[in-house]
Amino acid sequence: MAERSTPAASKLTVVTLVVSLAAAASTLLPARAEEPRPEGPHAKVRVGLVFDVGGRGDKSFNDAAYEGLSRAARELGVTTEVLEPSGAEDREAAMRLFAARGFDLVIGVGFIFSTDVNVVARDFPSTRFACIDYAPPMEGVMPPNVAGLRFREEEGSFLVGAVAGLMSKTGHVGFVGGMDIPLIRKFEAGYRAGVQEVCPRCEVHAAFAGTTPDAFRDPVKGKALANSEIAAGADVVYHAAGTTGHGVFEAARDMGVKAIGVDADQHDEMPGTVLTSMIKRGDVAVFDTIRDVAEGRFQAGLRTFGLAEGAVGYVDEGPHAAGIPEDTKRKVEALEQRVIRGEIKIPER
Amino acid sequence: MNDKRARALLPIVLAIAGGILLFNLIAFAFGQAPASALRLAFEGTWGTPYGLGQVLFKATPLLFTGLAFEVALRAGLFNIGAEGQLALASLVGALVAAKLPASLPMPIALPIVLASAAAVGALVAFIPAILRARRGVHEIITAIMVNRIVDAILPWTFSTVLGSTSLRTADIAPGAALPRLDRVVPSFAGSAASFAFPLAVVIVFAAMSALDRTRPGREIRWVGLRPEACRAEGIDVERRMLLAMLLSGALAALAVSSTALGYKGYYELGLGAGAGWSGIAVAMLGRGKAIGIVLAAIFLGTLEQAGLAVNARVPKEAMDVLEATLIVLVAVASRVASRTTGVVQSADPEPEPPCDKPAPTPASEEARS
Amino acid sequence: MSSIFSLTMLAESIRIAVPYACAAIGGVWAERAGVIQIGLEGILLTGAFTAVAVTHATHSPTLGLVAAIGAGITLSLGHGQLTERARVHAVISGIALNLLALAATRMGLRALYDSASNSPGIEAFRFGPTGATGGAMLLRVLADPVFFCALAAVAATPFVLRNTRFGLRVRAAGENPVAAASVGISVTRVRLAALAVSGAICALGGAHLAYDQQRFESGMSAGRGFIALAAVVVSGWRAGRAALACLVFGVLEALQIVLQDEVRKTAIGDLIQTLPYVATLLVLALAPRRAGAPEGLGKHAAP
Repeated sequence: MAERSTPAASKLTVVTLVVSLAAAASTLLPARAEEPRPEGPHAKVRVGLVFDVGGRGDKSFNDAAYEGLSRAARELGVTTEVLEPSGAEDREAAMRLFAARGFDLVIGVGFIFSTDVNVVARDFPSTRFACIDYAPPMEGVMPPNVAGLRFREEEGSFLVGAVAGLMSKTGHVGFVGGMDIPLIRKFEAGYRAGVQEVCPRCEVHAAFAGTTPDAFRDPVKGKALANSEIAAGADVVYHAAGTTGHGVFEAARDMGVKAIGVDADQHDEMPGTVLTSMIKRGDVAVFDTIRDVAEGRFQAGLRTFGLAEGAVGYVDEGPHAAGIPEDTKRKVEALEQRVIRGEIKIPER
Repeated sequence: MNDKRARALLPIVLAIAGGILLFNLIAFAFGQAPASALRLAFEGTWGTPYGLGQVLFKATPLLFTGLAFEVALRAGLFNIGAEGQLALASLVGALVAAKLPASLPMPIALPIVLASAAAVGALVAFIPAILRARRGVHEIITAIMVNRIVDAILPWTFSTVLGSTSLRTADIAPGAALPRLDRVVPSFAGSAASFAFPLAVVIVFAAMSALDRTRPGREIRWVGLRPEACRAEGIDVERRMLLAMLLSGALAALAVSSTALGYKGYYELGLGAGAGWSGIAVAMLGRGKAIGIVLAAIFLGTLEQAGLAVNARVPKEAMDVLEATLIVLVAVASRVASRTTGVVQSADPEPEPPCDKPAPTPASEEARS
Repeated sequence: MSSIFSLTMLAESIRIAVPYACAAIGGVWAERAGVIQIGLEGILLTGAFTAVAVTHATHSPTLGLVAAIGAGITLSLGHGQLTERARVHAVISGIALNLLALAATRMGLRALYDSASNSPGIEAFRFGPTGATGGAMLLRVLADPVFFCALAAVAATPFVLRNTRFGLRVRAAGENPVAAASVGISVTRVRLAALAVSGAICALGGAHLAYDQQRFESGMSAGRGFIALAAVVVSGWRAGRAALACLVFGVLEALQIVLQDEVRKTAIGDLIQTLPYVATLLVLALAPRRAGAPEGLGKHAAP
């Protein structure tokens, strides 16, 4: 057979040989970056954080959690690692990977981890787990080693709703939600209540980008929805939509109106357009949980963070809040105190 | 003979070597030492029993979708609709499984669920199939359209029909669940590998042998190779194509056994997504042999699990880049190999097709290369 | 109801339709030359990423646009090399192209910006007035260099295909490659040239998509390449009609957003977004056989 092989065939053999050699040789390439080694009293404490698909880098919810993790690495000296699953079947596998390697705390970022964290936690009873925006199981009980971290987003949204209501000149304000779920409805409900509190005649235009998790990653849709609301008169638009919100900012800038960011201080995403941001301190929740684990004080069960805990709020000082008049800030501050004292009841839906 | 075999293997060797080279370069580009990244990938996959279990879990849906693509390809058709067929079948299968009474024993419950999923898969495949058979419309375009329609139907079903905001179905009846493999191999504990894997392997071998050994199976193949000649011989070409396409849809749908039935115990939006596309790579790498499909599925399953394992250092997308590159590499290399040595994909001696007039470009052979 | 027949609606419809139209015209070029091209989605995405990455690095959206077009041509020619020279089946090559583009752009995001979801914002073209009126919106959409290029491509394509020597050759290669080869046309070269045009125009759509958001978002093409493919088929592979179909899809999408609450309340709800696909299936089911597809689509001049 060999004598019948054509030039092209032997060329293929040569190519295969060359590629194989190159593959073997390339294995010997050195690393170009050294992993920094944490040191300090808590260096033995290992924390794993799992994002949802496409989470990291959203300058919002996920990055806030990551900031909490980085701060823990910096200030407490714990060892940290992050993973990003590639699909629905990998969320559990990623958490399990950390647990199986003997990590002390495994954190899932987002409501979507609620079921997975329960499953893995039952298999690893001595590992601690935490889940941000945790939704407790409908039936049955939470595993005893899971901390479900929840926020009263409606309280922070109420405050930015009041800001929007006070600052709107047209009497129309907008809201763009990501995925249409109870969690995001909480943002909308709080915002509506805040607007109505200060401006009963104001109209709130609300829209959602979709019914799947992709609705948190669709700025093109976000821009179209915001355009539609602004064209209908809205001159302040609040978003609770992940990176879909980038489209909202884009629309607000083009149309010459103001936007309100969410979860983290989003001023830098579009200076001059982002009036303020509703803050949800995912970083504080993550950092506190890690510190508790490091100091041996981990508490399982549901933990809710609200205005009173200083874990939600809005950007009300410094150059990033320069667009808000002092008078408005004072009025909102008064509202804030009434919410903390329990004088105002804010609906969750 | 040995030389011929060896030459047929060349594309596979080239693909694997090329894959490793590319991975090493990507790892290096991200500042990592390729050797340590490779070690991390190995530890996360074949290095531990858990990792191995995960590899088998990842390979299971690919066995079904790879086989599905292969079956249609035998008839000269591209079933690129496996993605939609699997998704809708998973939803319906899980809904059926959730409605079954909890007391129903597995020998009854499991077949009911698998049959309903397969029926839905075939039904989704029916649209491109019938348009191809009756109207001569290319199945590629129609399958893409159907995929997109299914993409919209799923969330709509959750939000409008089921009124659920959690994007998951209720838990399935215990009888419909496939037990995990750790029942027999305790060290797989924790991994999602279930009896869906042996089931899939059995189905791959059974289906491939049926295609080679039974009359309808051989006819499907002849129709793919020489449609015009077969028509002249009195074989109902359209009917055979329809059969292959429906079979393909049903097989793709069976992947639900490893995701909703063998793992989660419910279906959630996105579960099993991507398996339809990777199945194409499996069929390409599998070279039309049952053992080839099994090995290719395990190989790609390894890549997927390795992607998760190295994720903290090298982005998991590196593995997707590898997969896409591999498809192209294997396609080109085997084209060159088959052109120059005349190695045809099926080296098995087989009875001479009845419709044996030469055809200028047999679609199924061209596609494979 | 006044909101439906307004300048706002017109502006939104055009803005949404531009990427569709570019990809569809790109599809017409490839397929009229006889090359099956289901990789439009991948080229859109790569075009968007390249435009943003280069703009971010050079602060010049013009350079970004040029680079995007270059990337589109490269990918499209790669597809052509595989299908026409290596004779890999165009469907396999197209699928690989889509998978590669999705994975490679994500990897690029990680490499350049250490983000899994999006790039930082860029300063792309920004002409036209600021303001919330329909007129201002329309002006912003129209006074955009990318829109000009797209418009020119859409307008020129039917003319070039019908009236020029090159167009004639492209159509000949697509209708009957064997006959074309027999009269001395180099089918492979003509097809590669047509693919270069196809990739350039399609990438233009990607650049429009990204510049419109002033950043790149992972997977931001979101199936637009497939809608464009639907437009190509529905139009019977004719450029003018394909562009028109894209405009109709744009209007539908804009309507859907304006009427979100009303649409949501109906039983159909979000299913309305399947309309382009359902329409395509219906056209294919009801139209005469082959529905205007080039006769030589996917066929080669020599075995």
